[in-house]
Amino acid sequence: MERRPGKFFFTFENLCPILILVYYRYITEISIKLKKEEDPRGGFPLETCMMKDQFDVLIIGSGVVGSAVARELSRYRLKIGVLEKNPDVCCETSGRNSGVVHGGFAYDPGTLKAECCVEGNREFDRTAEELDIPFRRTGKLLVGNTGEDLKSLKKTMKTGKLNGCRGLELVDKSTIQKLAPGVQGEFAMFSPMSGIVNPFLFTIALAENARQNGAEFFFCHEVTGIRREADQSYTVETPRGKFRTRWVVNSAGLGCGVISEMLGIAGYRIAGSKGNYLILDKRMGALLPLPVYPVPSNTYMGIHVTPTVDGNVIVGPDAEYVKDFTDYGVPAKNMEELAESASRLWPFIRKKDYIRNYSGILPKWVDENGTVQDFVIEVRDDAAPHAVNLVGIESPGLTAALPIARRVVKLIGQREPLTAKKDFDSSRKGIIRFSEQPDEKKEHLIQENPDYGEVVCRCETVTRAEILQAIRNPLGVSTMTGIKYRTRCMMGRCQGGYCQMRVAQMIRDELGIPAEKLLYSRPHSNLFTGEVRK
Amino acid sequence: MKSIPKDVVIIGGGPAGLAAAAELRRQGIQDILVLEREKTSGGILRQCIHDGFGLTRFGESLSGPEYAARFQEEAGRLGIDCRTDTMVISVSPQREVTAVSRGGLVRYRARAVILAMGCRERTRGALAIPGERPAGVFTAGVAQAYLNLYNTMVGKDVVILGSGDIGMIMARRMTLEGANVKAVFEIQPYPSGLPRNIQQCLIDYNIPLYLSHTVTGIHGRERLTGVTVSRVDERRRPIPGTEREYPCDTLILSVGLIPENELSRGAGVTLDGHTQGAVVDEYFRTGAEGIFSAGNVLHVHDLVDFVSLEAERTAGAVAEYIKSGSLPPCRLNISCGDGVGNTVPQKISGKKDVRISLRVSRPFRDCAIQVIQNGKVIVSSPRKGNVNPAEMVQVSVPQSVLAPDGNLEVKVKC
Amino acid sequence: MLKTMTCIICPRGCTIQVETKDGKPVSVKGAGCRRGEKYAWQETVSPMRTIASSVLVLNGELPLASVRLTKPVPIPQIFPVMEQIKKVRLQAPVAIGQVVIPNVLGLGSDVVATRNVGAAVSKSHLA
Repeated sequence: MERRPGKFFFTFENLCPILILVYYRYITEISIKLKKEEDPRGGFPLETCMMKDQFDVLIIGSGVVGSAVARELSRYRLKIGVLEKNPDVCCETSGRNSGVVHGGFAYDPGTLKAECCVEGNREFDRTAEELDIPFRRTGKLLVGNTGEDLKSLKKTMKTGKLNGCRGLELVDKSTIQKLAPGVQGEFAMFSPMSGIVNPFLFTIALAENARQNGAEFFFCHEVTGIRREADQSYTVETPRGKFRTRWVVNSAGLGCGVISEMLGIAGYRIAGSKGNYLILDKRMGALLPLPVYPVPSNTYMGIHVTPTVDGNVIVGPDAEYVKDFTDYGVPAKNMEELAESASRLWPFIRKKDYIRNYSGILPKWVDENGTVQDFVIEVRDDAAPHAVNLVGIESPGLTAALPIARRVVKLIGQREPLTAKKDFDSSRKGIIRFSEQPDEKKEHLIQENPDYGEVVCRCETVTRAEILQAIRNPLGVSTMTGIKYRTRCMMGRCQGGYCQMRVAQMIRDELGIPAEKLLYSRPHSNLFTGEVRK
Repeated sequence: MKSIPKDVVIIGGGPAGLAAAAELRRQGIQDILVLEREKTSGGILRQCIHDGFGLTRFGESLSGPEYAARFQEEAGRLGIDCRTDTMVISVSPQREVTAVSRGGLVRYRARAVILAMGCRERTRGALAIPGERPAGVFTAGVAQAYLNLYNTMVGKDVVILGSGDIGMIMARRMTLEGANVKAVFEIQPYPSGLPRNIQQCLIDYNIPLYLSHTVTGIHGRERLTGVTVSRVDERRRPIPGTEREYPCDTLILSVGLIPENELSRGAGVTLDGHTQGAVVDEYFRTGAEGIFSAGNVLHVHDLVDFVSLEAERTAGAVAEYIKSGSLPPCRLNISCGDGVGNTVPQKISGKKDVRISLRVSRPFRDCAIQVIQNGKVIVSSPRKGNVNPAEMVQVSVPQSVLAPDGNLEVKVKC
Repeated sequence: MLKTMTCIICPRGCTIQVETKDGKPVSVKGAGCRRGEKYAWQETVSPMRTIASSVLVLNGELPLASVRLTKPVPIPQIFPVMEQIKKVRLQAPVAIGQVVIPNVLGLGSDVVATRNVGAAVSKSHLA
């Protein structure tokens, strides 16, 4: 072929090296080596990336705070990933509390706990509306009997006022009886701004809203290592693959100390305070219109009784420090003491009304004397740049979730420009609850979708339509407990005695999961060994 | 919403509901509706594939589904309107029955309602068994449904708490399907189920039964890894120091049946704390006008043959109520005396022969069931051999010995 | 020798005592009926049982049909009979009384279906 200097001819020989270069770049920078792998959640095919595209932000932990961070960050043009070790959101502390939206008077003025709690409390009506979750601003009573109690309450009121709580007032015995008949107490502080929320639905809604706005969730991805690269980005390791990201947010809750160390921020002493709870039959809900606490001491809230948005009553928590952050067993002795202690305040607790019990562990940052410290919301530009470290997010973490998330966004925004998305949708729609609708609406729902006419869970009147919607959830969760929290099926008196078989079959049929792969709640909590006959 | 008038609405298409419907039709009542929440009628019998049903009724030893089929066929022959896939969500004191099905929401206004909803099982949460929350803990009825209806095997190494019939039946069932059933533990000092089941479900398969024991701990983070078992004292409290560990991956709970009376409460029906079912009179009438109750929802039966009989008696009373508009008052109360756990009915008229069903509160041997009125023993029914709380005992009280006034007491004399 | 047993024929569960000589039954006491006497005799000679189980159904509205034996079989044959039951695959529809395995293992008992299972109308296995 004749060669003329100065001119490029499109011949095969000339193009070949260019093509090879283009292909190479494609392979290494844009292409992903995909590996379809069995998901321990159960036959739900999952693409695991050996080396994914770089994320802008990886959030570690999808409890209520991690999910809130994902939601707030999804307002901006960022590629967001959430790494969660469990098969669903809200599996640890976020789902193991009494569901109270706190007033904010129990925290020292000037702390992040106080600030974030009051902020979160004030906006909760709007939060609940945007996320389509049940929330009731019931108010709360702090009940006392002695002179010491009165002094303590007066101090609490002062603190509350300083923190910006509104409407705190001291009420007398007759007012107590009007607000909460049967409660034993001489006087009380009434906090009109306190309320109750379903913590599962709150977390799920935050996560779904984040997902709706582009955040990606990776379940059964426990973070086992974090390495800072030369370009200040991070490689985050999980047993199911490595992830590259520019920012890391540590919202690992009980694991915050471990992740903090992985980030190179050592020295946080995390103590786990375990609280046990009893759940009472919905029949008892009619007897308790609002949360009632005894006057609190310095270390914990006291054994209180709290109604839930669904009408159950929760007794608890107690509190003791534990070393094992994975042991959620509830000892018999604790159950007895809870009932006995709370009965002095609210004398309606009977063993025949017990439906269930559970426990939760709060990750408290303590100093060397064991004194509980404030929330940590920080970026250590020296030790771990581009990492937002959240440590010691315990109570009032639920109430404070969105305010904490906004502070995370602010910390990132102070270090790089964030571009708001024009199409961010702050509103998320939940599953319509058949049982809560008036008759005409019930009829209308069934006419539109006959699956609303097939009641699967008798105790809570949950229909096939709701359960199918829950199984088809945007996060891809397929555990029995995941479906339970999204619909209330299996949460009633019979605890799934009537409906769990049908729910299990529905999950299997919808998602093609074989019997031996269906999970109850945790990564290897397989329910069945297989079929009886193949 | 419009109410569709009906003479009789029966809630539940299990053995009680079906038998009542057929008997009502035989007694000339035409306008009957049975509402059943499952896809097919038959109730709990659908999953009880073992035999032993129908020995009294049909003189044959049938499986649950076969027994149910006899009644389903009879109901079909009689043209009974049985709506399946229909869940009753409320019953008002005025007998307005609201039901949900794929066709929509419907309300019926019934002249008479028969409550035949059966039972639910007592759960781990209700027992407050301490420990962790792993997968692998099932009540016996749930395990039975998984195995027999859903073709799903629930585990390999099994411990069973509760020697009720269901627990023992499941011990055998799971063993036949290749599971290793390690032991059955019973908190009482005597077995809860029938002696024949101890033989054919436990002894036959070398499954040990430990009386006066209970599960005091459940272990396993994700799937069950084992249970802690303790001996209990005479007050059924665990004895510290007697704990033993049993590795297993499945815990089956057979710890009691509770009549499912949530709908009944809404209808204003008063429940009996002993039976957990409605307080009824000799017509199986509850305290709410026009509302009757039969079968397991009234009191937990041990033999389905008797459920059918009771439901037919109830239907007879309902037929009389529909035809004449009322039934005679029943003002004589029956109370439980020494040794008696519960009785049905709890009220009688004193003007009719009556049959009292009862359960003893602890095992007896060679005793007599006595009925006392106005200080006198009016009936003394000797029982040879063992009488235990697992069996329902019947005592006939002829009208001839009944006084028109004076409450009654039933007790055990040994 | 005196052997005591619980009769399993009916829920009464009579306690029966069988007098044996050289391992063979000689007399029976305590049975509440003739069937119980026969049972006690048989139990001493060669214990027999009926069992119930399930077989796989293809293309049915339910995945399984319950089955049982029409006559008791010797106890040592129970698991061999189960092995035969596990091999069965029935095509829907299945009717109560339908013989699933005639004269299983030559033991003189049939395995019969005890549930009606119609042909599937939809994919749903909800029972």
